[in-house]
Amino acid sequence: MLKTETITINMGPQHPSTHGVFRMVLTLNGETIVDLKPMFGYLHRGLEKTSESRTYLQAVPFTDRLDYICSMSNNFAYAVAVEKLAGIEVPLRAEYIRVIMAELTRLVNHMLAVGFLFNDLGAWYTPVVYAFRERERILDLFEMASGSRMMCNYIRPGGVAADLPAEFLPQLRKMIPHLENFVREIRFYLSDNEIFKARAVGVGFLPADMAVAYSITGPVLRASGVKYDVRKAEPYSIYDQFDFDVPTQVAGDVYARYLQRLDEMDESLKILRQAVERIPEGEYATKVPSRLRPPKGEAYARIEAPKGELGFYLVSDGSPNPYRWRNRPPSLINLSALREMCLGHKVADVVTILGSIDITLADVDR
Amino acid sequence: MQVLDDLWIRIAVWFRGLLESFLPPWAVQLTMDVLGILLLIVLGIVVVLAFTYMERKVIARVGDRIGPNRAGPFGIFQAIADAIKMLTKEDVTPTNADRWLFLAAPIVVIIPAVLLYAVLPLGRGMVGVDLNIAVVFVVAMGGIPILTMLMAGWASNNKYALLGAFRTVAQLISYEVPMVVALLTVVLLAGTMSTVGIVEAQASFPFALVTPVAFVVYMLAGLAELNRTPFDLLEADSEIVAGYFIEYSGMKFAMFFLAEYINLFMVAGMITTLFLAGWQWPILPSWLWFLIKVVLVIFLMMWIRATFPRFRIDQMLGFAWKALVPLSLINLFLVALVAKVLEPGWVRTGVLFVSNLALLAGAIAIMAQVARKREERARAAGEAAIKRYYGSEVR
Amino acid sequence: MYGKGIVKGLWVTLKHIWGTYAKDIKRFPRRYAPGGIAKRTDYDLYGLFTLQYPEERYEMFPRFRGALMHLRNPETGEPNCTACGACERACPHGVISLEGEGKGKDRKVTAYRYDLGRCIFCRLCVESCNFNAIELSREYELSRYKKDFILELDDLLKIGDKYGIHKTGEAWGVTE
Ligand code: SF4
Repeated sequence: MLKTETITINMGPQHPSTHGVFRMVLTLNGETIVDLKPMFGYLHRGLEKTSESRTYLQAVPFTDRLDYICSMSNNFAYAVAVEKLAGIEVPLRAEYIRVIMAELTRLVNHMLAVGFLFNDLGAWYTPVVYAFRERERILDLFEMASGSRMMCNYIRPGGVAADLPAEFLPQLRKMIPHLENFVREIRFYLSDNEIFKARAVGVGFLPADMAVAYSITGPVLRASGVKYDVRKAEPYSIYDQFDFDVPTQVAGDVYARYLQRLDEMDESLKILRQAVERIPEGEYATKVPSRLRPPKGEAYARIEAPKGELGFYLVSDGSPNPYRWRNRPPSLINLSALREMCLGHKVADVVTILGSIDITLADVDR
Repeated sequence: MQVLDDLWIRIAVWFRGLLESFLPPWAVQLTMDVLGILLLIVLGIVVVLAFTYMERKVIARVGDRIGPNRAGPFGIFQAIADAIKMLTKEDVTPTNADRWLFLAAPIVVIIPAVLLYAVLPLGRGMVGVDLNIAVVFVVAMGGIPILTMLMAGWASNNKYALLGAFRTVAQLISYEVPMVVALLTVVLLAGTMSTVGIVEAQASFPFALVTPVAFVVYMLAGLAELNRTPFDLLEADSEIVAGYFIEYSGMKFAMFFLAEYINLFMVAGMITTLFLAGWQWPILPSWLWFLIKVVLVIFLMMWIRATFPRFRIDQMLGFAWKALVPLSLINLFLVALVAKVLEPGWVRTGVLFVSNLALLAGAIAIMAQVARKREERARAAGEAAIKRYYGSEVR
Repeated sequence: MYGKGIVKGLWVTLKHIWGTYAKDIKRFPRRYAPGGIAKRTDYDLYGLFTLQYPEERYEMFPRFRGALMHLRNPETGEPNCTACGACERACPHGVISLEGEGKGKDRKVTAYRYDLGRCIFCRLCVESCNFNAIELSREYELSRYKKDFILELDDLLKIGDKYGIHKTGEAWGVTE
């Protein structure tokens, strides 16, 4: 009788495809996964506590650093929360600018998610380079408007930091058809690829009921077939004025998540087209004192960030510093289902599944 | 033209004459042999330098980049710069490594790679040794790297390296089978095992046209033997970091690297020899034809590498045993039958070509069927889960 | 048909290879943009996208947030800063520390220390400034050979002279 042993492998914290400092303790039977224990916290910076000793405005740059790929949406969520707490009205133009930025961020994030998924699958950097190319163009727009590519610090409580520069909208108008071409090219290039399908179809299956039980949100949830999107379920900002769909998939595997992201990119472009057409002139922000003292109370606001539902919970005791500053990071909560998705698959699949959940470790550990 | 064609042979003959004027015959023979060996080794190193540069350029161009362009004009000295960097790097041997095995592996890996060059016909009359069992030699020497990779993986005392070594053994041994069967097909058609003889047998039709199935099988198996995408699981950097050579650094790492590219040239050369008529084809000098074909084959491999993701280990083994082995065996049977019945010529080529295409189409249809089934299963599972969720909840 | 995806993929990458060479030919014989400054304006899926950095560089957008600089009063040539300390309070990272002397209108800055290594370029300090005294420059090559990341008032003024900006927030459409 042949006797076999399981081996335990530490994947990470330094590993090329854990997307940051993330550690998984894998118990392997040959190459099959018997057990997986995710361990995180290597990147903990105490952002919540730090922000509690800063003013409401000073915490905005910290939100950039939660999920550094989509800083604009983090700003957005935080701004919505502060506005809810302090009862601030936002001018219409500012709302449009916010929507434009949030959708551009979604594009950036999904591009990278798709690109890095292929990196994890072993495509020699080509899809990721294509994704980076387009991302760079969008980040140029961010830089034009906010002065920084990634740490935008642009969407503030009360509106945005400054009005859009004059070249922004023409540039964006030129870019939308280009981005549509890009999505089309990616579909043409990768969607039918037999090797990719062999790797992705049926791998990392997350049933709809389990996804809800784990409170997964975002593209991962929708790829499992649950039609839930904060933009529709609880419209914030001006999302109820746009005409867009919430795409869903059926299969709930890695391939479905990939398709889901491409579909969402199409929808984002649809929203962008409408926003660019309809954006009004006017004020870009209501004046908010830099040492804002919201009335005593608490507020929770959530938005549909590219990775899922991003929420901020703020408690004010009437002083300029928040009493409690808490955020619900989509990456962390989506990551919680990793074990269920991986059991019984191969080592190579862990990497793919992790890539398809699309996490940012800065968001997980905060 | 004639002059160009046997340029290298003329140089050799002239040099031999020069030596004979002042050396005894045995010394002349010895010098020529040593020179030949040196030449092949130098060829190996030049090949490595040239093809690492080419690979980086091709991959860069696919990604809309320029690629190396700093060291020398157009960056052509990049490979040399890399080599210097490798030489100056710290040489680490892990504490708990099996020391002698660990040190031996990089040396052993390079020897069979260089040895193989001996039977590669680089041009008309340009072959190290015209072995009459060259094909067997190629297969035998191709088996040695498996051992060295296992040596390296085991000796490193690293779990990733061990996983890489497991994969190596599984993968390379599996792909050896379809490769040999494809080789046999060619041997059957050519009626000889000598590489020179095989090239000469392709005077009218390259074997890639006569039996496309064997060509495709050999190409895929070659990619697998070389650990290149989509079969680069041995060193899959996103899964097991670097595979069996994860603990190697400096020049020892460079040895594996060298062996990889020497093998690349070798496999491309074998594909050219076996299926693309080697140095045959008119007008250009024979050695140039050989080089052009090899570069084209290598470009194809790099292009594939730059485009596709990789398979998973079980899928890859399944592909070898369930697709390539039966396909090549059926093809062998077919070719044997047709070659027995028909005389060489247009008719035989036509019959073989058409029947091979039919075989290929059949195999593709079966694989498509399997893939569709998989997709349907995944969909059904998803649908069931959605029903479960929405069924138990009030919407 | 099975295998279609493979062919499609190869076709896309081949187009990209070809596209880069087509752009190369257009640039012949010079590989790098003349003058070394380029603007990202072309929207094309094909063709070279990367920039050869030290030779070529992009023009920074006017709003780019780089290292801090101090502005001078164009008439007197004195720094505008009155050492009110608003930037010190506004900074979330405690990057700035300053000293001043004098009272009321005559108050002048005497020392201003700016820790480049800790600054996150958020521009909150500039937004808090009411005297047109500071602004973020377009300086982005900030690496140093030594750990001299602390810039003093003179260094900051020097950067300011380089850019010749007189008003805070010119590029931002807010000039208060
Ligand atoms: S840019 Fe931000 S971090 Fe830097 S000095 Fe100003 S307020 Fe402080």
